[in-house]
Amino acid sequence: MKRYDIAIIGTGPAGLEAALTAQARNRSLLLIGPDGLSPKISKADSIRNYLGLPDVSGPAMRAAFLEHLESAGIRITGGQVKNIYAMGDYFAVQTGGIDSMYEAETLILATGLPLSKGLPGEDRFLGRGVSYCATCDAALYRGKKTAVIGYTPKEEGEADFLSELADEVLYFPQYSGDVRTAPAVKVIREKPVEIAGEKSARILKTDGGEYETDGIFILRETIAPDKLMPGLELEGNHVKVGPRMETNIPGCFAAGDITGPPYQYIKAAGQGNVAALSAAAFLAAKQKQ
Amino acid sequence: MVKVISEAEYGQVQECPLAVLDFSATWCGPCKMIAPILEKLSEEMKGKVGFFKTDVDASPGLAARFGIQNIPTLVILKNGEEAGREMGFKPEPLLRSILEGYLN
Ligand SMILES: Cc1cc2nc3c(=O)[nH]c(=O)nc-3n(C[C@H](O)[C@H](O)[C@H](O)COP(=O)(O)OP(=O)(O)OC[C@H]3O[C@@H](n4cnc5c(N)ncnc54)[C@H](O)[C@@H]3O)c2cc1C
Repeated sequence: MKRYDIAIIGTGPAGLEAALTAQARNRSLLLIGPDGLSPKISKADSIRNYLGLPDVSGPAMRAAFLEHLESAGIRITGGQVKNIYAMGDYFAVQTGGIDSMYEAETLILATGLPLSKGLPGEDRFLGRGVSYCATCDAALYRGKKTAVIGYTPKEEGEADFLSELADEVLYFPQYSGDVRTAPAVKVIREKPVEIAGEKSARILKTDGGEYETDGIFILRETIAPDKLMPGLELEGNHVKVGPRMETNIPGCFAAGDITGPPYQYIKAAGQGNVAALSAAAFLAAKQKQ
Repeated sequence: MVKVISEAEYGQVQECPLAVLDFSATWCGPCKMIAPILEKLSEEMKGKVGFFKTDVDASPGLAARFGIQNIPTLVILKNGEEAGREMGFKPEPLLRSILEGYLN
């Protein structure tokens, strides 16, 4: 398997600037995230404090960023990272089932603002009936009852996939608009409020009722950083970093909103720049050994 | 070495003063990634900790007996009694310090 010099997770200003800097340093890079860029870029109304782009709209900023990437020859690998494994001398990045793995010498986390709080019971039952990845864990639920909470229409595919193995799939879309799922998937438009159980998650409580299940899949756009990468040290719900954007795991750096306030485009880009330079320095030191 | 066992061979685990039993499966990403780490730790802790591994699809009875719902799950046994369990992938230094905690 090809081992990249630097894997960058996230396509907001932090990840994009890290990619541009890594490229300028002649490092092989893997940039993973939505290929339409961070929703926080396109959603902004008008931005007045980004150097070189006076009074720009979100969509115009997005177009400028995409053009910059293209001119540098940087390609985005679309998708969501489900797991990152710190293997000691390299990192493995998983985007789906067991075959969707990438490897890199260093890693830059630029996945944006971490979710402040999950559902009551979510943390307690994670790994005991609660999962963040249907394609990873579906096989455990063969012939069982499952519930899928989807925060974006992308997750409909995960529910469909699960319905091929599980006996029952209840799908709780947390967005408005049409839902297109396989006939075997039962769509319920209610808002989950709690996960309950004893040893493991057994009941999903919503604002409309209670559902018995063997497994609950919570599929959000963001996964808490320490769940994404076991062993990563947090400070509050942010990733703890030093002045070089280094985390507690050697070779892993973080940049942007994920490292804490202030939450600003230019600060995120600046930290992405520092993180990529630190990763390049880390690689150079490693190669000298 | 991590010894792969079947349900029938579970007795070997109980004979160890301190044992780690890894429940895993061929289709599981974190299981695949933790395997080389366990292999390395088993060499380091040779003679002190017995390392075993079982496939949940091949040994469903054993998995049910321990109520395994997430893999990988590492069950730590002292003289055949469960002393603790660890779920999910852990980087090597963290796993080493967790297991060393059971040695003292
Ligand atoms: C409406 C609005 C207006 C704003 N206006 C301003 C302003 O005027 N000026 C200003 O300076 N700031 C403004 N901000 C703040 C700014 O948007 C953020 O500070 C900035 O986007 C942070 O950049 P980032 O790269 O750290 O994270 P983000 O932009 O959040 O990007 C994170 C990226 O990571 C991806 N990602 C997350 N998890 C995964 C995963 N598991 N796998 C793969 N990819 C993943 C996301 O999809 C996204 O692409 C505004 C924010 C909002 C919401």
